[in-house]
Amino acid sequence: RRALSLRYVLCEVVSEDPRCRQCIEDRALGLAVRDAIGRVHGDYGLACCSVSFAVKYLNAYTGTVLLRCRKDSYRLLCSALPFVRHLESRNQRYPCALNTLHVGGTIRTCQKFLIQYNRRQLLLLLQKCTNEGERQCIQKSLSCSLTEEQSQSGDEEDDDGTE
Amino acid sequence: RRELPDGGARPSAAQFKQLVVSALRELHGEVGAALPVDVLTYEEKTLSAIIRVISSGLIKLWSALTLLGFYQNRRCAFRVLQVRPCGAEWLPPHVSSRSKVIW
Repeated sequence: RRALSLRYVLCEVVSEDPRCRQCIEDRALGLAVRDAIGRVHGDYGLACCSVSFAVKYLNAYTGTVLLRCRKDSYRLLCSALPFVRHLESRNQRYPCALNTLHVGGTIRTCQKFLIQYNRRQLLLLLQKCTNEGERQCIQKSLSCSLTEEQSQSGDEEDDDGTE
Repeated sequence: RRELPDGGARPSAAQFKQLVVSALRELHGEVGAALPVDVLTYEEKTLSAIIRVISSGLIKLWSALTLLGFYQNRRCAFRVLQVRPCGAEWLPPHVSSRSKVIW
């Protein structure tokens, strides 16, 4: 029986400055999130959330970030995320915001959500396409992801009822 | 009651309130500092005060005061003498409050 319960918080980094992407790396993000927790919840909150805190996954292209923390303190973490206002790396600071997309109990549930979310984002991008070249790129990605979905849904039939 | 070992300048009522809020800010952040705390009475001579806080904030306040060790670079300590629930006449009926009698 597992006594240790964790929560995985999936979020995305949103920035008007394209140079902010280079700051999307685990050290800069970890520091920014911890700093925000320290400001909003003080020494107590920072200590609570730092137990088992980790940046588990990053994607600088999409700005997707997966954070891990204890189940007991995920509320402290989530409530502090809107207070991350910039990312700092190599003495450069760029303004940004963190949107929380999903909170899950395992990396797998977050991954499943992310796949669905990215698919929806691709569809939105397709609608906003301005030229044929972009349209073809996106349609190619979409058809790739659709074939993956078909091959995956074969393995997961027993999961359907429990979602 | 606050205890200051030396005979230095004692905080005024406003400085005392500021000290309480900054203790909350240090341990519990902006959320702690935003906790509505009232210093009902303050006696500069004995450094004693009655502080009022909403019941749900008692733990944050008490822990913050317990861990406050310095005032203007001088060592100090808070001693909580008594904690009592507060009468409802000062507050809207659905809100309860605990007063911290540091007397």
